Amino acid sequence: MSPGEVVLITGASGCGKSTLALALTGLIPARVHGELRGRVMFGGQPLSGLAPHEASQYVGLVFQNPNLQLINMTVQSEVAFGPENLALPHSEIESRVGWALDVTGMAGMRTATILTLSGGQKQRTAIAATLAMRPRVLVLDEPLSDLDPVGAQEVLGTLRRLAAEADTGVVVIEHRVDEVAPWADRIVLMDNGRIRLDRPPRGAWDDPAPWIATGVGIPDLVRLAHALPDAFPGEAPLSVDEAVATLRGGWFATALASSAQDRGTRPPKTQGLNAQPFDAQPPVLSWHDVSVTFGDHKAVDDVSLDIGDDEWVALIGANGSGKSTLTGLCVGLGTPASGTVSFRGQPIRPGRVFEHSAHVALLLQAADEMLFAENVLDELEFGFKFRAKPKDPVLDVPGAIEFFGFAGQEAVSPWELSQGGRQRLALAALLVGAPGVLVLDEPTTGQDADHLKAFLSLLDQIKERTGLTVVTVTHDMRSVASRASRIVLLGDGQIQLDGTPAEIFANTAELARWGILAPPLARLQSELLGGVDEVHLTVEALAAAVQPYRPTPVRVNTVQAK
Amino acid sequence: MLHSLLVRTVISYLLVFTVPLVLPIAFFKLVGLGGLRELVTYEAKDTPLHRLDPRLKVLYPIAMGILSILLTWSFMLIVFGLSLLPWLWLRPSRQRMRVLLVLVIGPALGGFWDQGMYYLPPAPVHFLYQFPWTISWMGSPGITTYGMIFGLEQSARVLVVVSTSMLILISTDVGDFTWAFERFGAPPAMGFALTAALRFLPEMISRTTLVLRAVELRGYDLSRPRWFQFGRWPDYIRRAARCVVLVTVPLLVGTLRGTTTMAMVADARGFGANRKRGSLRVHKLSAVDVGGYVVLVVLVAGALVLNHLHIGARYYG
Repeated sequence: MSPGEVVLITGASGCGKSTLALALTGLIPARVHGELRGRVMFGGQPLSGLAPHEASQYVGLVFQNPNLQLINMTVQSEVAFGPENLALPHSEIESRVGWALDVTGMAGMRTATILTLSGGQKQRTAIAATLAMRPRVLVLDEPLSDLDPVGAQEVLGTLRRLAAEADTGVVVIEHRVDEVAPWADRIVLMDNGRIRLDRPPRGAWDDPAPWIATGVGIPDLVRLAHALPDAFPGEAPLSVDEAVATLRGGWFATALASSAQDRGTRPPKTQGLNAQPFDAQPPVLSWHDVSVTFGDHKAVDDVSLDIGDDEWVALIGANGSGKSTLTGLCVGLGTPASGTVSFRGQPIRPGRVFEHSAHVALLLQAADEMLFAENVLDELEFGFKFRAKPKDPVLDVPGAIEFFGFAGQEAVSPWELSQGGRQRLALAALLVGAPGVLVLDEPTTGQDADHLKAFLSLLDQIKERTGLTVVTVTHDMRSVASRASRIVLLGDGQIQLDGTPAEIFANTAELARWGILAPPLARLQSELLGGVDEVHLTVEALAAAVQPYRPTPVRVNTVQAK
Repeated sequence: MLHSLLVRTVISYLLVFTVPLVLPIAFFKLVGLGGLRELVTYEAKDTPLHRLDPRLKVLYPIAMGILSILLTWSFMLIVFGLSLLPWLWLRPSRQRMRVLLVLVIGPALGGFWDQGMYYLPPAPVHFLYQFPWTISWMGSPGITTYGMIFGLEQSARVLVVVSTSMLILISTDVGDFTWAFERFGAPPAMGFALTAALRFLPEMISRTTLVLRAVELRGYDLSRPRWFQFGRWPDYIRRAARCVVLVTVPLLVGTLRGTTTMAMVADARGFGANRKRGSLRVHKLSAVDVGGYVVLVVLVAGALVLNHLHIGARYYG
């Protein structure tokens, strides 16, 4: 790495990214045991033999979960912790703290209590605390995992500025390749403990084979460029701005406009923005004039929402917009200050979680916290110790073992399963209770493209087999775009938009106002058309839409999506 | 009628069991795990108390605790009153005040109640209410006036320490505690241990709340019966006790993972690199600090003098 270089390291879960990060910072072999061969060098200085506090002045590490790495109570004491440990003079500590807070944009929050910070602010505080050690290289392990899309862009902007202004080398370990790639100078793809590819972003996807083989997603804009090479005569674009600059004035923009115009003459759909689904039966879930307050803060503000049979509804919104509070109410978690919540017309009583969890299955983001038994079979049977088994369930325990791939692992401890396996087990344990609706709180956080695809396919199969209504709270716009039948955007505790993904993602400006970045393809169409009612959400659909309007028919390449 | 055995038995059972039943209910209803989290969380404000010399803040509960042990009941009341005064500076939020009041009044009520029943002064004993033989298995002959007063005294002594400690806890950044300990010559590890405990206690409480939610979502019945559903309470207590066992594993696993990360973070930030640490904080003694030190010294010295003169000193015999 050179000074001021930003390197993105990516790869499937378990490929060795985090282990590499620990080795880079000297924590391997100092704190994590194993056999280390080779050396990590900083200039001519070997880092591998240094004590962690010495190595950390060359290479600083920001861990994945900011909650676990912020040890102090206030922002300034957290940032000062490292320099204080180095026994620096007061003036030097003061100078480092001021600088680190300025660089990360946290100067205004200097005296704030850590517990009151948002996810993005915590992440920036963790970066500031590491920067105060004045490392020459900063390594960040999945820094975007808990951030909403706008918060993620803020953190990436901070890192880019740091590299440019302070000449600090930055290593970002991330699954969210399409978000980080535009900010990176170099992309490293890891596979099974080895570096499979190491190239600048411009040429990183020239050959898609390693990406497909490792199961790491290729950015949609790159796939679009590969699918329509004549529309992108130069290099594949890494950002929406680049793609717009390339396509504006070309045949693609004209064809897209013609396609949108023709589509606009079709009869309108019955369900549009802010429309409530009509159903003769009581809705599966219903919130009626619901408000929830925490002290002086109104987390949910007069929300009315009905969710009908067979829907796959995605609740999106910035961190703190009220999504999890709203979904918690449907199983009795939390008490509304006003309004009613009901399942199939039956009111949900606050606090009666046991009672309502028979009908509403809620999978928490921290699925590990939902496992209580000694082995897989007991875990699946757990709920039946306290309530009767459902009659004729679509998915009984033996069926779930087969369906979720636990055959032969019935006696295995849940803690011996992989993280993905534990999440599947928690999901299976909820589904054997034959609930009427499945609510998922951030189910795809921190998953690589392959695991994400597998999890979404699993949900597809569950939906096909059980016909369940699915409600998901998420920041992952790609999975929303590919699966949800309806999106509800929450902002300031209120419903701001409600419609199909194609409609919602066409409102890029409104989404940005509420802290959401639409998927790159949606933003591209919106920019090129200057406002549109609906957008295409997959590369295949977009390529097919412009194909009939192109001047001369040309072959469309296909690149496997991950 | 009031003197019949049946009525006296009913009244006695009510007197004996009301307090132990009311206290946990009041705790769950008015405090709960969320309330405990509130209690140990530092509240950043700009008050004279927040700006006070951290060393003085560390000494304050210790000194008040010593006074509460040395002095007699009447002098104790003065100390107790003095310990409440700084709360006027702090002006805690209503929610925090509610939690504090429950945690202050609860133990006081408990002490008042159990000493009233079980502290037996030398004869002649004045019973406020004498229990009939039907409740003799409880081991108390009745509630004595002297016992209740004694209970109040003991509770007030404890409350002085509780009140002053809470006051300091919510008005002091943990980093300031560490700074103060280091100025007193304590090793940095002690300050770090305190910091980590206070910082992660609210996290731990949040995680416990989350795991308790999760166990209910998995079908475990933790719903509390209404207070009058006497028949359902034993089953609820049994379920709650079993739940403790169930949630221990995920809590332990999560906590151990967290501490491993925290240890690596501390290493990476150079903790333990030097025997002496630097400090962002530079405290210049203000007039309020000087006043605080003077009051503290006068109080402790006054108590010692009084104690020496056998005025207001407790009798130990």
